[in-house]
Amino acid sequence: MLNFDWLSGISQETARYIFLGLYVLIGGLVLLIPTDYIYVGVKKEDRHWYNNLKLWAICSLSILFFIYYIF
Amino acid sequence: MLTGVDYFVVIAYIIGMLLLGLYFKRFVDSSEDYFLGGRSLPFWAIGMSIVVSDIGALDFVGVSGQAYRYGVSVGNFDWVGSVPAMLLAAFIFIPYFWRGGMYTIPEYLGKRYNLSVRTIASLTWILFFALDLGVLFWSSAVLLNVLLGWTIWSSILITAGVVGLYTYFGGITAVIMTDVVQMVIMFVGGAALVYLSLDAVGGWDNLVDKVYNMGPEYREHFHIIQPSDTKSPFPWTGILFGLTFVMSNAYMIGNQSIVQRCLTAKNEWHAKASMILASALKMAIPVLVLFPGLMAIVVHPGLADGDQALPMMIKTILPPGLVGLMFAAFFAGLMSSVDSLLNSTATLFTKDIYEPFIKKDGDDDHYLKVGKLTTLVLLLIGVATAPISSGFPGIYVAIQTFMSFFQGPLFAILLLGIFWKKSTPLGGLSALVIGIGSAILMHIFKGQFFHIEDPFLFISWWSFLVGFVVNVVVSLMTRPHTKEHLKGLVYDPKILSTSKEI
Repeated sequence: MLNFDWLSGISQETARYIFLGLYVLIGGLVLLIPTDYIYVGVKKEDRHWYNNLKLWAICSLSILFFIYYIF
Repeated sequence: MLTGVDYFVVIAYIIGMLLLGLYFKRFVDSSEDYFLGGRSLPFWAIGMSIVVSDIGALDFVGVSGQAYRYGVSVGNFDWVGSVPAMLLAAFIFIPYFWRGGMYTIPEYLGKRYNLSVRTIASLTWILFFALDLGVLFWSSAVLLNVLLGWTIWSSILITAGVVGLYTYFGGITAVIMTDVVQMVIMFVGGAALVYLSLDAVGGWDNLVDKVYNMGPEYREHFHIIQPSDTKSPFPWTGILFGLTFVMSNAYMIGNQSIVQRCLTAKNEWHAKASMILASALKMAIPVLVLFPGLMAIVVHPGLADGDQALPMMIKTILPPGLVGLMFAAFFAGLMSSVDSLLNSTATLFTKDIYEPFIKKDGDDDHYLKVGKLTTLVLLLIGVATAPISSGFPGIYVAIQTFMSFFQGPLFAILLLGIFWKKSTPLGGLSALVIGIGSAILMHIFKGQFFHIEDPFLFISWWSFLVGFVVNVVVSLMTRPHTKEHLKGLVYDPKILSTSKEI
């Protein structure tokens, strides 16, 4: 029980897909964040695609996804 | 041994850091300047500082050692063990802390729950940071002992002297701005070692083939996901439940030395951006600190102590000059970690212990002096506790073990505190005390409960669950704070609007 023996039937490959699925889920949640909230602290005229923090977060998650896909 | 060129590089680096740190002394006029940099710093400096303060000497030596023993799965700590938690921190928790004008995480817990929770959380972090300092000093001494033949104690005392001097004067602005330079040096030095090591083993494909053919115990070295029944400390179940769901969140959201940096940001966007930038940079860390450990399997097979892998690689792979640069990179990691711990602990002690319990109505200059004095005292404690880490088989696992005692319960009360309005002061207090107690018991009797070597990930998860359940049960039986009291302290969908009022 404490060692998660009940999950011992799940293969390494399946476990990897669980992690990959988690990153996709997080990416989806990030995309749901209202854009206005992302820009709080930035003047209206200074809001550009490159300081959209949702894009930054998606880039980070994409690298993470790639690493777990490779290894 | 270092050559003359190497000594020049190292000494120039140390003097440069001292001068840079002392330069920022002129910006310290108040306790807010000393602890929060006057809330004026940009995201790029904070982000780089978060990364560099989080790796340090511990990872250079410890992670390489773990990679030597267990392979790439140790990289989970910087990959899945960082990025999701940092995004959660950036988008949900940091805005609350920043808008609330907090100095410390226990300060938030004190407002959300009560003074007892604040004090226990703060004292626990102070204890952890003091032990962490000891581990950092010890890991540096191990490397210096191999490279230079210095005795352990002379290495510790020299390191403490250099770091203590520049941390004392500059406050967090000096800490963060020196971290920027330290990160660049660390990345350059680490990249040089990886490049030359890869060349020495004949390229990546050759490395994989050689390690794979060294025996069955090396077959899992290139699998980031380890089986659930692995004897290594990193089964995928522990990585998912213990690391991803609990420890990483507790570390990135509840760790004073990480969050305090974000609180120095000039506005909310910079606070969020700093954490997201750090999440991207952090993914490069395993490449710099883990891969040399993997390559040491081929270059130096059969090392009795995995923590010797990195020092041996530096000694045999790098030419004169680059050894000095790598040594400077190591110093950069060590200094950035130590100065972070010193400044954060000084903040915790001054704001959460000294101000509420010892002198409530002191002027700002008084608290500035207390913060500086605490820095010095903590440095002495770190030196005195350094030998404790020698009693553990792996330096990195040692620090994770210390953390697992309270990371789970801490995250449980933070999570319920911000997302559940009915969580009560007594619920939070009970969860923290019983959760930490359960973690200590699980560690003492780990032989009966767990079948892996170092079950700190499992302990983290189960103590989180204990804390969570205790908080819910006790809260349902006790009186919560009023809605007015909780304003700005618990999650409100209005935070996702442009309004700064929550």
